[in-house]
Amino acid sequence: MKQKQLVYIYLLFMAFALPSTAQAMHISEGVLPPQWAALWFIVAFPFVAWGLRDLRIKSQRDPAFKLMVGLVGSAVFVISCMPIPVPTAGTCSHPCGTGMAAILIGPTLTVVVSSIALLLQALFLSHGGLTTLGGNILSMGIVGAFTGWAVFRITRKLGLPVWSAAFLCGVVSDWATYATTSFELASALHGTSSFLKMFAAIGASFMPTQIPLGIFEGVITAGIYQFIMPRRPEVVECLGVEKPQPVIESNKAEAVV
Amino acid sequence: MSLLSEIFSDLFARQDNVLTRVDPRTKLIVALGALCAMIFSRTPLFPLAVLALCLVATIAVGVPKRLVVLRLAAPLGIASVLLLLQSVMAGTTPLWTLVILGAKITITREGFSGGLLLASRVLGGMSVMLLLSSVTPAHRIFHAMRALGAPEGWVEIAMLMYRYTFVLLDLTAEVVSAQKVRLGYAGMQRGLCSAGLLGGTVILRAMDQAVATNEAMRVRGYNGKIPLGPMPALARCDAWILGGSGVVLAGLFFGTEVLCR
Repeated sequence: MKQKQLVYIYLLFMAFALPSTAQAMHISEGVLPPQWAALWFIVAFPFVAWGLRDLRIKSQRDPAFKLMVGLVGSAVFVISCMPIPVPTAGTCSHPCGTGMAAILIGPTLTVVVSSIALLLQALFLSHGGLTTLGGNILSMGIVGAFTGWAVFRITRKLGLPVWSAAFLCGVVSDWATYATTSFELASALHGTSSFLKMFAAIGASFMPTQIPLGIFEGVITAGIYQFIMPRRPEVVECLGVEKPQPVIESNKAEAVV
Repeated sequence: MSLLSEIFSDLFARQDNVLTRVDPRTKLIVALGALCAMIFSRTPLFPLAVLALCLVATIAVGVPKRLVVLRLAAPLGIASVLLLLQSVMAGTTPLWTLVILGAKITITREGFSGGLLLASRVLGGMSVMLLLSSVTPAHRIFHAMRALGAPEGWVEIAMLMYRYTFVLLDLTAEVVSAQKVRLGYAGMQRGLCSAGLLGGTVILRAMDQAVATNEAMRVRGYNGKIPLGPMPALARCDAWILGGSGVVLAGLFFGTEVLCR
């Protein structure tokens, strides 16, 4: 009986108290014990190395590519700081941006860009941390980017329109990021209690914000992609995303800008 | 966005004081050492001592208290939640029992001490990074990272990203103001549409900026690599600071561990 009451109180607490801290989307400094922090660094390292290898090869072909990656990374970093209202929590949170970046510059380079963005956020915004950088790169950079990119490619191959593929990419990359973060937190913090119970509890704590936020991120990713594709077909082509669409006239929505 | 720019800026790191004059490699190694020691500590005393030292140093070098509070607000929230969760979820030995809405909540001794340790590590770690970023400009941190073995391409992208984040933050602030004036965020649907347009505009401007920057750098001899230049050998005083800081950290670490045994 006590256990059941505790679970109810816990879920109630999670639903109302945790969303206020949802702006800190990364695992904070000091949360991961040394062995887990080291493990996630070891897991993340090959992906960062892979991304840097890709960067070197592509920038040897075109020296401007490195600048393009840096600037697009910077833009995605700024977008990830944009507040999005989360009505279920009554607060604001912000998108991960990795799905968008994975479509634009590819998943391996997104890992590189994410590792830098995470370091900058840890140093200058107090989001995330240095010892937890490996864990955060894994959840946001690797899992977020690769799942988002895979979803985009698969849905495009299945014949879905670009906007819906971008939408699904945004949604899945966001949810995958948080599922991985929950996994990392649960595996590090479950102690003597059950891992699955802790995983479910942390997952439940993210749900009030992440379900709507993932959908919103999907909508924004679709909006961004739809906005860019027709206007910069040559740059999009240069980044290797896909065949460009014809240039369109400015639409009604653009007037808002 | 202006608040974000203010927090994100390394303005205070460009002042001239005792800590800004220290070699960035020394500061980086000491900061990493403190962070590692913190996650190895088994008592909250060490992280709390580091927190106190860093806060005093941050305020002493002239960082406004308001900015310190802003930077530590999110970690403080996380620390509180961690303390509460661990107290309720972990451990078996009851410490206090609270009755809320007819349900009993038992705070356990093991959970509370574990939560306190985690919370102190979060706050201590964040204070170390706050101090490091308050006394070292971003480009010097990247330069030091390169000197300590970070890959060249990674450091170049990091420098570019940091530099152009401010340009794009300014642009974002302008576009958001324009959208707000035109009621772009009146209602959920319009807000989401505006957010998509804002994101698209920021990425397009970033692409344009990349093309312009490439042209500008090409005429200055850019061939795909930003020359960082070698760092001078560590000065004797910096080596002493490094050694002294190591001794202080080790003393503090082992002292607090023994004290709590």
